Amino acid sequence: MFDRDIWQEIFHSIKNNKLRTFLTGFSVGWGIFILVMLLGSVNGMQNGFHNQFNDDATNTIFVSPGKTSKAYAGFEAERRIQFKNDDIEYIKKSFGGDFEQISGRMRRGTTARYKSETGTYQVQAVHPDFQVIEKTIIMDGRFINTNDLLSSSKVAVIGRKVAEDLFKKEDPIGKFVEFNGLPFRVIGVFTDDGDDNAERGIFAPISTYQRIYGNTENIDQIALTYNTSYDLTKALEFSRRLEDIMKRRHKISPEDQAGIFVWNYAEAFDNISSFTGLLNKGSIFVVILILIAGIVGIGNIMIFIIKERTKEIGVRKALGAEPWQIIKLVLFESIFITGLSGFIGLLFATGILAAIGPNIKTDAFADPSVSFSTVVTATVILVIAGVLAGLIPAVKAANVKPIVALSDK
Amino acid sequence: MIEIKNLHKSYKMGSNSLHVLKGINFNVEEGELVAIMGSSGSGKSTLLNILGMLDNSDSGEYNLDGVPIKDLNETKAARYRNKFLGFVFQSFNLINYKSAAENVALPLYYQKVGRKERQEKALKYLEQVGLRDWASHLPSELSGGQKQRVAIARALAAEPKVLLADEPTGALDSTTSYEVMDLIQKINDAGNTILVVTHEPDIADMCKRIVHLKDGVIVEDKKIEQVRADQYV
Repeated sequence: MFDRDIWQEIFHSIKNNKLRTFLTGFSVGWGIFILVMLLGSVNGMQNGFHNQFNDDATNTIFVSPGKTSKAYAGFEAERRIQFKNDDIEYIKKSFGGDFEQISGRMRRGTTARYKSETGTYQVQAVHPDFQVIEKTIIMDGRFINTNDLLSSSKVAVIGRKVAEDLFKKEDPIGKFVEFNGLPFRVIGVFTDDGDDNAERGIFAPISTYQRIYGNTENIDQIALTYNTSYDLTKALEFSRRLEDIMKRRHKISPEDQAGIFVWNYAEAFDNISSFTGLLNKGSIFVVILILIAGIVGIGNIMIFIIKERTKEIGVRKALGAEPWQIIKLVLFESIFITGLSGFIGLLFATGILAAIGPNIKTDAFADPSVSFSTVVTATVILVIAGVLAGLIPAVKAANVKPIVALSDK
Repeated sequence: MIEIKNLHKSYKMGSNSLHVLKGINFNVEEGELVAIMGSSGSGKSTLLNILGMLDNSDSGEYNLDGVPIKDLNETKAARYRNKFLGFVFQSFNLINYKSAAENVALPLYYQKVGRKERQEKALKYLEQVGLRDWASHLPSELSGGQKQRVAIARALAAEPKVLLADEPTGALDSTTSYEVMDLIQKINDAGNTILVVTHEPDIADMCKRIVHLKDGVIVEDKKIEQVRADQYV
């Protein structure tokens, strides 16, 4: 293997047979190139999906009230369900270890004004736990806390875009901003790396909004996160239990699909996961097809090479080359060519991915890259395949009687 | 040097069997220059191929320098060829991407001779055939006669016991043929055993002995007065 003479023979033959070398190398390099680009693209799509869904906590469950569609327990159909504060207390008591954060939610549009600047935004009136549920990041100041809630203070946490719109260069913390004419003190500014739209939102204590809007205890929606140690089955089981209990509490028929909506992120995430899983399986299938094409290509070229070299092999044998020496010569040459050109294809493809990857800024595609081990495995497979494809004609050539190889009369 | 007893060889041609060699008995002493003559189909090339271990006989004995040549596998045949024999072909059979010197050095590579010694020997034998200055040229840059002289140098480089030449002048014009024969005679003068297959009487006359083959048997085996080729050159 490390005999200098045989490598000299090989380099000599490569140098003097450029077209042949190029043909072999190209089929391998091209195969690896396509392979890396394909795997990279699939990875990019996968990353894109994950980025989109990772914005909110992935263990979130939303419980929303609806309108009953069935008469039940003495109530007529078409009854509007309304959640109240004690629904949250009830869930807290009934599902101790099942959830981690829980928050009520009210959404109201508002016209906000600071000095001469105005804008229309949506205020989400929530409990302090909501920060975790929505993965809201505080840039400045703080989020709503329990004191704000207890005292129903008129405080607000505003999004980064809202701060830019209303306060321009001013520091908004501690300033008063008017929501529909009522003054709220800004206690924090938040950002959300999921989307810009979220940064056009405002958070306020839910108790404050309940007081402003009719002094009720009404809640539009309950958001909670399930225990992070739960797997998918357990999470789905929990949301089913939650739905049953809430239906019972609000006297809704267990068969009624419209009275309460429980929306579990786990379910959606499961769908996405199975989709990307399918994508992955599909790409592996395509990769196998590409590898087969590559193997056939290399095998083809190897047969062509051996045919072309039959006479040379005959001469070498007449001069005293042993069969194994012939096989060695042909094999090492093909290993060298496939290995090197596979590596070149790999470099090109990863280079292109690295160059265009950061420039692609669409939601569905991010960071197209492949794991190094995948690529190395593919290259090794291709080289081995090349060797195997070359071995059969090489052995055949080595066993050809020199008299046959040399016959030209 | 060469002892052959009752050698038979037939080829399968579809359902028919073609009996090419029908019992050849034939000895060659060291230092002989033998012409094997015959029309095409007489079996002369087949005989040479068997002598060269490029082909196997069906039956009969073959001893080369006291070594019985039988039951050869490819590896063993390759070693014997390398050790005992040098080949000169009608169509030269030089490796076209190797220079003259590299072609000459090739059998030495298979003898596992070191690189430096290979180069020295290659140049020495190219010198002997008068092509020292053409050492770095590719076969495509050489004339037919030059190619055959490179091939002879290559055959000599391995320092074989026997040199086998299959129609060495078959692809050459008469002047060049005589040049090549002159070279072969000089190599023979130095004591090398040489067998030449030819169908040209004037080439055969330049050997020391003529063996005539017809329909797979030796019909004539005579020593002759050698015609020197250098008078035509």
